[in-house]
Amino acid sequence: MIEFREVSKFYDTVTALRSINLTIEKGEMVFLTGPSGAGKTTFLKLIYAAEFPDNGKVMVSQWESDKLNGSSIPKLRRNIGVVFQDFRLLSNRNVFDNVALALRVRKVSEKEIKPIVLDALKMVNLRHKTDGYPSELSGGEQQRVVIARAIVGDPAILLADEPTGNLDPDTAAGIIRIFKDINARGVTMLIATHNPLLFRDTGKRVLRLDNAALIREEQG
Amino acid sequence: MSYSVRVAFQSLWHEKWINFLSMVTIAMGLLMIALVSSSIYNVELFARKLPEKFFVVAYLNDQVSEQDAREMIASLKEQKIIEKITYISKDDALKELRASLKDADYILEGLNENPLPASIEIRFKKEAVGPNTIKQFVDSLRKMRGIDDVQYGEKFLLSIHSIKAGIETVGLVLTGVMVSGIIFICYSTVKLLFYRRREEVETLKLLGATRGFIRAPFVIEGGIIGAVGGLLSAVIVFGFYYGLFLKLSAAIPLIRSVIFPTQFFLLLPVVGLGLGITGSVIAMGRIRFS
Ligand SMILES: Nc1ncnc2c1ncn2[C@@H]1O[C@H](COP(=O)(O)OP(=O)(O)O)[C@@H](O)[C@H]1O
Ligand SMILES: [Mg+2]
Repeated sequence: MIEFREVSKFYDTVTALRSINLTIEKGEMVFLTGPSGAGKTTFLKLIYAAEFPDNGKVMVSQWESDKLNGSSIPKLRRNIGVVFQDFRLLSNRNVFDNVALALRVRKVSEKEIKPIVLDALKMVNLRHKTDGYPSELSGGEQQRVVIARAIVGDPAILLADEPTGNLDPDTAAGIIRIFKDINARGVTMLIATHNPLLFRDTGKRVLRLDNAALIREEQG
Repeated sequence: MSYSVRVAFQSLWHEKWINFLSMVTIAMGLLMIALVSSSIYNVELFARKLPEKFFVVAYLNDQVSEQDAREMIASLKEQKIIEKITYISKDDALKELRASLKDADYILEGLNENPLPASIEIRFKKEAVGPNTIKQFVDSLRKMRGIDDVQYGEKFLLSIHSIKAGIETVGLVLTGVMVSGIIFICYSTVKLLFYRRREEVETLKLLGATRGFIRAPFVIEGGIIGAVGGLLSAVIVFGFYYGLFLKLSAAIPLIRSVIFPTQFFLLLPVVGLGLGITGSVIAMGRIRFS
């Protein structure tokens, strides 16, 4: 599903990733960990084509990073749900419209949108906040809106960047439960986190990044 | 209602002041275009009617018999530019003079000989009526035997011709400037709207929106701004037409001959729409995903 071949990424003088080789199979749930600045966000960005490798190539489903263009990038991105580290919620739209956006870019008709969005909001326990605006929500609630938006389009892959970043342990546990449910539906997942509590005792693959290199693979 | 249309209307409302300002400016520009094009239209109409009224009169020598004159006419008629030639004999000329004098025709009583020359009146095919063609023709006519004098409205022809050319050039330049100006207004407005919503656009890109999906609300909004500007200008033009022009032309005969191209003015909103869409598309340029 996802494959990195000798992938390197440089920002000017900074090496963000160096010679990464990796394969993630369909339906897997994998964690990506390492200290801040290790290259986790860059790793995810290479998958949804927000960044491109300077060396090697990234393969996602049928797409190869060196062959992507203006018409294939949107298609690739519609196959991936992303929980952005910085949320990227639209402040002038309510919760419903923020989640619905993921369906609208997929050209789902307005009639069909409503029940799908409400289902997704139910899954993250935000059914009662449908009409609220992001600024009226707590950090954990915003986080869950972003998760709902990431899964509502039924993507094959879900990427999450520090999904429990600044949440209290209880909320974080709730979010992990949601992720397990999503993974149980067959969605391939890659979760970047510097918080070991997230993958402890999960039995899942944990990739450890340090200083731009994949130094080790563990089991949670 | 489609999502893009909804977003476009939301933004129209949200940014109402800047949008309203653009609409008014566009309306002024289109008003200018309407004014210029109706001037051109009227001059064109006037100039088109001109050839039908235009003619050249050649006065014939008294030695030329009617037979000679007929032959002369026949040979002149071979020229492609001639539409029609009428022979006016000395008698016809006198009769015409009498008729035009009406009751005052007693002043002709004392004449024992007809002092008026015979003449031929030459009319031209429409497309031939221009200062150069006519001048050439008249020059050759003057050289012909049996022709005493040739008269035509040379200065008139020349000035009409240059006025027409002048108005057309100025009109074309003005229209060009106005059209670019209106496109530029739509361009800057949409550029600004796009800039204000760049966060949203970035998010849309990351969520997998296509270029069309990203552009649609902006193109719709730009189109609406242009179309409303056009509608505004049409309202002003028709307001002027019914509120002032019709009353004025009823009172002043000179104004009556001015034609008001109403069908063209109905097109103003469509022209605005087209210019608005053009400006918006240029404003967004190529949308890049990486
Ligand atoms: N857009 C960028 N321009 C320049 N340097 C960047 C950019 N994004 C990330 N970096 C640098 O690349 C390295 C890896 O960053 P990142 O992938 O965000 O790490 P992590 O998500 O693990 O904290 C860091 O040193 C960071 O400063
Ligand atoms: Mg990061």
